[in-house]
Parts: sequence; C-alpha cells; structure tokens
Amino acid sequence: MAIFDTILSLITLPAIVLGFIAMVGLLLQKKTAGDVFKGTLKTILGQLILGIGITALINALTPIQQFFEYGIPSGGFETFVTYDEAVVGAVQNTNLMNVGAEIAWTMLFGYIVHVLVSRVTKYRYIYLTGHMIWVHAGAFAILFHSFGFSTPVVVALASVLDGFYMTFAPALAQPIMRKITGSDEIAFGHGQTLLNMLGAWAGKLVGKPEDSSENVKIKESFNFLRDMSVSISLIMLLVAFIGAGLALGQIGTTGFAENISGGQNWIVFTLLTALNFTAGVLVLLQGVRMLIAEITPAFKGIAEKLIPGAKPALDCPVIYPYAPNALIFGLISGTIGQVASMVILALIGWPVPLPSMIAAFFASGAGAIFGNATGGRKGAWLGGFLWSFVGWFLISFAYKFQVFGDLSGLGAVGLGFTVPDAIVPGIVIWGIAKIFGF
Amino acid sequence: MVIATLCGMGFGTSMMLKLFIDDILKAEGIKAETSPWDLGSFKGNKADIVVAPVDMESHLKDYPAKIILIKNLVDKAEIKEKVLQAIRELS
Repeated sequence: MAIFDTILSLITLPAIVLGFIAMVGLLLQKKTAGDVFKGTLKTILGQLILGIGITALINALTPIQQFFEYGIPSGGFETFVTYDEAVVGAVQNTNLMNVGAEIAWTMLFGYIVHVLVSRVTKYRYIYLTGHMIWVHAGAFAILFHSFGFSTPVVVALASVLDGFYMTFAPALAQPIMRKITGSDEIAFGHGQTLLNMLGAWAGKLVGKPEDSSENVKIKESFNFLRDMSVSISLIMLLVAFIGAGLALGQIGTTGFAENISGGQNWIVFTLLTALNFTAGVLVLLQGVRMLIAEITPAFKGIAEKLIPGAKPALDCPVIYPYAPNALIFGLISGTIGQVASMVILALIGWPVPLPSMIAAFFASGAGAIFGNATGGRKGAWLGGFLWSFVGWFLISFAYKFQVFGDLSGLGAVGLGFTVPDAIVPGIVIWGIAKIFGF
Repeated sequence: MVIATLCGMGFGTSMMLKLFIDDILKAEGIKAETSPWDLGSFKGNKADIVVAPVDMESHLKDYPAKIILIKNLVDKAEIKEKVLQAIRELS
C-alpha cells in the first residue's frame, strides 16, 4: 500500500504530472537521455517558480485592495486583478482537493481530444499557443471541479470541452483570419476569439475595409510598452498611487501608516507595492515560460505526424504585422473601454477588475485588427473599445457569480479570469448546472 | 551556436519562431541550440544570433550578436533565407 500511496501522491502533484507529460513528449521526439532529463527537470522547476511568483503577486495585491477599501469607504465594491495565468497558476500551485493535478491531466487529455477532433472533422487545425493550452485546460478543469465531481469525471468532461474548443475556436476565426493575412496558411489560437469576432461583426456595421487603419501614418512612440516589465510597472504605479491618494484623503498619512503600511512612509510603501506586483508577474512569467517550453514542441511534433497538412493556430501577435496601426488604435480605445466599464461596474456595485496593459495591448489590439478587417479605421477603434468594454463586464460577471467556483478558496485570492473563450463557455455551463440544481 | 528568438512575453511569438527555426535547421542538417527569450530579461543572456520581429529593432540596438529582423512572422521563406544567411556568415 505504501508504494500505491506514493504513486497516488505523485500523480496528484501538478509539477510531477507536467514533468511526466514533458518527459513522454521528449521521448517521443527521440531526444537524447540528457535532453530528456534536462527538459523534464526544467518543466518541474517551471511549476515551482510559478508558485513563488504567485505568492509575491498576491502579497502585493492585498495592500492595493486595502487602498481602495479605505479610499472609498461608502463604495462597497471590490477590486481584483484579471490575469488568466495567475488564476490557473495559483489554483494549480495550491492544489486543494487535487484540482491542480486535474488541470495538468486535462492539459494532456484535452490535447488528445483536440487532435482526434481535428483529425476526423474537416476542421484541421492544431492549436499551438502553449500558455493558452494550459490556461484553457485550467479554466475548464476548475469549472467542472466546482460542481463537486470526482477527479476522473472532472478530467473527462474538461478534456472533451477543451478538445472541442481548441479545434472549433480557430475554425470560427478563420474567415476573418483570411481577410487579415490575405492567405489561408495560419489560424488564430488564443483565448480572445469570441470578443475579437464581436469586433469583426461590429466593424462591419460602422465602416468599410477599404478605409483601412493602415492608410494612416502614425509615429512609433508606443514601442517601449512592448517590454512587459515597463508597461506593467507603469499601470500598477498609476493604479497604486490613485488608490493610495484616495486612502490618504480618507484616513490621512497617520491612518495610512497605522492601518496599511505598518509604519512605512506612504510614498515608499506605494512605490514598492506596485513594483513588487510587477516583480511577481515577471517571476510568474518565467515559470510559465519554463513550464511550456518543453511541452509545446512535443505537442507540435505529435500533432503534425497525426494530422498532415493541418493549419497551425498561433498566438495573437502573429497578426500584428498585418495591421500595426490598428494595434495602436486598439491599445488606446481598449484603455478607454476598460475605464468606462470600470466606472459603470463601480456604480452598480459589481467587482471592478483593475486596468490591465496586457489586455489593452494584446487583446484590444487584436480586437482592433479584427475590426479593421471588416470595418477599416472605424472598425478598428470600435473593435478595440468593445473588447475591453464588454470583456470587463464578462470578467466581473464571472468573478461576482463565482462561475468557476470559489477561486479564492482554491488559492487564487483577488484574481479572476480574462479570456472570453474560457469565460463564455464557463457561464453557459454554469447556467445549465444552475438549472439542474448543481 | 546559440540562436535566440525574441518576443514580449518570451513564450508566444518567440516560441513559434523557435519551432519554425528548429524545422529549418533539421531540414538543413545544421546543429544549433535554439531558445525563446523575452524582452524584459534577454540582456543578461548570450547568443550568436537573435531573431526578432522587425518592430523590436530599437530594443536590440546595442546588443552584441547578429540581429535578424523578421517582417512577416509567419513567412517561413523569409525566416529561412535570413537565418541561413546569418549562419553562413558566422561560420
């Protein structure tokens, strides 16, 4: 029994399961023993590093939430950070009731379902965006876990949903991708699909594709924002100092020192809080990087053998070179959309997702490129705006009604999902489950 | 030889470029280590060749390696031509 117990505790440990998936992948690619060992080890370390980043990030988040609690005492609303990798990373790392292991197994079996679905249907896509494969496996496993199913049932249901998602989401976006890239070579593989399609649909109503954003000349002054450490720091400094300012307005510097900063000067404390959050995100990203670095090539190699001629569904930046101006329009209108949505959410007393440069750049930017493909310049502005405006409502809805269960209780304190491709199916299944009394 | 690929996050576009380059190197029978990098921390790493999207040019100005800028990230012909030329120039 001791051996059985050991095996059981190993296959319920996320780091070990992911290491195992990487090891099988490396063996199937006929790598040398040294490479197999190195890759397996790095994948396991990736998961552990990710956990360290999550802890740092959540620790820095607590004071920022306190700023707003003290700053707007009558507001009664809650703020949270929306970041998919942080949610899945935190839940997986905490691994309460094996949910972390369920995520890891869903990543493997979900991909197998995806390859099978792509093989037997006419939708021959292979989803290759590593962090999104992981995020969706995570979201769907957490969703089914919240209904109280046993581990095998959670993994089975989540894998089927995940597999169908990874085949059909790229298929859904392909008509617009053909317009954007002018060819049928590559597909879109990122959790933004549904809101990007909203942008494409809305774009058609307001403009013409001939009036493209790319006919406009703009300066390249936003380039420094591509460095995540810079853009996240800037936005968190802004948020933290606004929050600290509000708190000071209510409780003054003495109250601030007593209740929030533990005696530290408010400027120093706020500065460090914002930068500690960024540092946490950077450590988290390093973990994600190591976690998926070995698994993505393995999945690619296997899928290409089984589905010859399939179209690769790739990360959102592949479409940026086709419409760099639309990307900037999306960054600007997406930021406006986030703020507009935040104000409304605060007024109706719903949880308020803090602004995210990652969403404004990567998501609203892509939404604008989709809008530009159908509605030109006007479509780009509208597509970027809608992504954030509607997206922030979806994000707040999922957080408020605990669509994915009690994420805080699972370790993701003050964190919520971002991508619509996880949230919208989540809301549908959560709604059906509600009807049937789960 | 170390060939690094660069993007903002270090696991999206850079990973895709790495996979494309791996395919090219395999087809040509060239041995090299490829690794995806992120814009935030790459300056602490060393490589012989750095492959990056063309809009990252300003970030790579002073970096001591052979820099290859790719205009169309999914155009395998462009990537192949530029990477192979850089390898020839180095060896």
